[in-house]
Amino acid sequence: MTHEAASGLTEFEQDALAEIANLGVSRAANSLRQMLGEQVFLAVPKVQMVARQTASSLVERGSHSSRLVAVQQSFYGPFAGKALLIFPEEQSLELVRTIVGEQHSLEDVIDLEQEALAETGNIILNACLATIANLLRRTMNMSLPVVIRGTGETLFGDSTEQDNLVLFLYIDFRTKTRDIHGLIALLMDLPSMTVLKRIVTDYIQGVESGTDQRTP
Amino acid sequence: MFDWESVLNAIDAGVVVIDEHRNIAAWNDWLAKASNLSASSVLGHNLFEVFDRLKASRLQSAIDDAFQFGNSSVLTHSLNTVFPLRNEIGQALIHNVVVRPVYAEKIAHCVLQITDVTISVAREQVLRNRQNARYHAIVDSAPDAIITTSSDRRIQWFNAAAGEVFLLTTDDLHEKTLDMLLSSQENVADILAAHDATEDLSGIAVQVHGTKRDGISAYFDVSFAAWNADGRRFITTMWRDVTERVAAETALDLAREALRLSNEELEQRIIERTNERELALRQLHESQKMETIGQLTGGVAHDFNNLLAVILGSLSLLRKGLPSDPRTSRLLDGAIQGAERGATLTKRLLAFARRQELKLEAVEVQKLIPEMQEFLRQTIGPAISIVLDVPVDIPPVKIDANQLELALMNLAVNSRDAMPNGGTLTILCRANSSDTAKLPPTLAAGDYISISIADTGEGMSDETLSKAMEPFFTTKGVGKGTGLGLSMVHGLTAQCGGAMTMASRVGGGTTVTLWLPMASAGDLMASLTPQSSQPALQEGRKLRILLVDDDFLVRTNTALMMSDLGHTVIEAWSAKSALDLLLQDARIEAVVTDYLMPGMNGLDLANAIRRTAPQLPIILTTGYAEIRSPAEMLFPRLPKPYTQDQLATILDTIAKP
Repeated sequence: MTHEAASGLTEFEQDALAEIANLGVSRAANSLRQMLGEQVFLAVPKVQMVARQTASSLVERGSHSSRLVAVQQSFYGPFAGKALLIFPEEQSLELVRTIVGEQHSLEDVIDLEQEALAETGNIILNACLATIANLLRRTMNMSLPVVIRGTGETLFGDSTEQDNLVLFLYIDFRTKTRDIHGLIALLMDLPSMTVLKRIVTDYIQGVESGTDQRTP
Repeated sequence: MFDWESVLNAIDAGVVVIDEHRNIAAWNDWLAKASNLSASSVLGHNLFEVFDRLKASRLQSAIDDAFQFGNSSVLTHSLNTVFPLRNEIGQALIHNVVVRPVYAEKIAHCVLQITDVTISVAREQVLRNRQNARYHAIVDSAPDAIITTSSDRRIQWFNAAAGEVFLLTTDDLHEKTLDMLLSSQENVADILAAHDATEDLSGIAVQVHGTKRDGISAYFDVSFAAWNADGRRFITTMWRDVTERVAAETALDLAREALRLSNEELEQRIIERTNERELALRQLHESQKMETIGQLTGGVAHDFNNLLAVILGSLSLLRKGLPSDPRTSRLLDGAIQGAERGATLTKRLLAFARRQELKLEAVEVQKLIPEMQEFLRQTIGPAISIVLDVPVDIPPVKIDANQLELALMNLAVNSRDAMPNGGTLTILCRANSSDTAKLPPTLAAGDYISISIADTGEGMSDETLSKAMEPFFTTKGVGKGTGLGLSMVHGLTAQCGGAMTMASRVGGGTTVTLWLPMASAGDLMASLTPQSSQPALQEGRKLRILLVDDDFLVRTNTALMMSDLGHTVIEAWSAKSALDLLLQDARIEAVVTDYLMPGMNGLDLANAIRRTAPQLPIILTTGYAEIRSPAEMLFPRLPKPYTQDQLATILDTIAKP
């Protein structure tokens, strides 16, 4: 599938993709709520498919910052690639502060940042990948999370694999006191893209035929 | 083939393997030691039954996801406390847990890997404390207050000096704002508001007025440093107390200002003093000028009077002695009239020179002025209305009533001339005391009655006003006035111990004020006391008269007039010769003496005669007003110049029985 074909996802298909993503993040929100004992809202208001080459500049522009921090996990199986949860560097600390609680001093938050961020990213990415796995009725082989800091180039510049596409899920992370905006990026090869396309098609058909595809 | 169990036990981390039913399938030595639970006691048991607390943790869902979707999860110590683990000395182990599915044909097992991070957490803590120790060594020993705020200006952190200066406590963190440290909403807030989050504040320093502990106000130089952390913007402010410096600067400024002001004040005072001095000098000059003119005028008038006396006397004798001829009579009459007008003129000059003969008495102006009203009205005409403001209870003044009337008439005429198109003439009397009122500077302290004559006429310029009192100065056309009116009034007021002031503005009318001394009780008595009687001579009797005058012409002329009247005249040229003659001639029946003579004057002579011959009638002839005391009033006086008729009249009065 070419870049043109991918970006040629119909509006309907894009909406369906956003809905699938929202299923994923609401699962993550549940996990976080359980862990934090506080209401956490996660939402994906928008999805966007771009070529890997343009992802770098887009993510910097979308984040209003060139200093980014990302939690990255790889996944293998019928559906393979990398998933990244990306925040501007300042927002990542904000996110950690939200999660570990306001009572922690700034210094404590800095100490905890790396691990807390990795775990939070892990929860969110796991939830999204689990949703896809669920729709595929398959399990996936997923790696442990790693934290990466750098520019858009650092995150997307390693362009050894050709024709890769990036699916951006814009994610809003909201608690009582904070409103944080980030991105989930799914870097996929061509076969995965085909699988994703099939998932979306199946999902749409399932919704139209009234069968609930989400049941595991 | 490996002995997997030995491998697991060799690993320096906790390893648990659980099956689909969450039963423990493997439990390595590390974990047995840390949990104090042997493998034999937990193998085959459900993990969540062995550790009941795990049901409440995220571990359960992480394991569920691992089996169901193949998720790998991390549970870090930062967000979770999973297993109740302890080290060899009984301390709680800080640990992370990794949950991974074990991939085979299907996911039948899940492995939990437990890592001890106690040491790294402790290391971070130590590093941080060490770093903080250096940092605090610097900032807490800094003499300046250092305060870090968030962008909403709430205090996030402060150093020891700030706590000392502003009496901040940890309770104030996140509560107090920088604004509370300022005495007014000034620069700090403005500067912070004026810079957005991206701007660099370094290098910005402002001076602010703040409030220290105990409400003491102080000045600070505040410098800024902005930084970002935790996705938030922080601003560190450094406050240096510069109160003393500001106070010193302020004191210096005040001193400079005071010096400048006192210099200005000094200059102003010099100007004022100079002006005052100039004014005083001008007044002195003015009064000296008037004095000089007065003396000159007085002297001229005196000599003139003597000459006129001679002329008048000679003319009257001449008219008697010459045969009646109409032409000669007309010439003589003309000459006499001319001499009489000359006498009037000298009288006025003497008035200005304060040497006219005044009959000072207590005069009630509340009677005198209303009585004059009708006469004034006739004089100034119907176009000018007269307003009188004379309180009925005004005290009497000490003045010559006739002269006062004359003065008022003079002033009224001046006012009339100033109001050719009509207007109002106001005469106002007031009692003034130096205790309560502002008197003209030339007056001595005391009580005065002021009589103001105000017109609504054309007024005078300052230049005209300054010359108005000089004799012969007149703004009226040639032939319309003598220029002696105001001079006379001025002389009158001065002679009776008062003053005259004038105020005028072009187009704003003129007000002349006469300041006259209030009459004393003694004056009142004197005015009531009748003149003492003179020793009388028989009427019509021809007398033997001793005539004393230093002026040969006057003496000769008077002697001729007396001889013509049938009297016998013995002449003396001085008081001393008169006294000698009196001793020699016992038949002398009366003495007529000039007042002003070299050596002993007429009054002294009269007094001397009275002591030896109290019954001898004495007449003083004078053109001056030097005679003032009541004692002098005892002698009848004959003002110079006099006609033969006047001489005859006065001689007749003393010749009466």
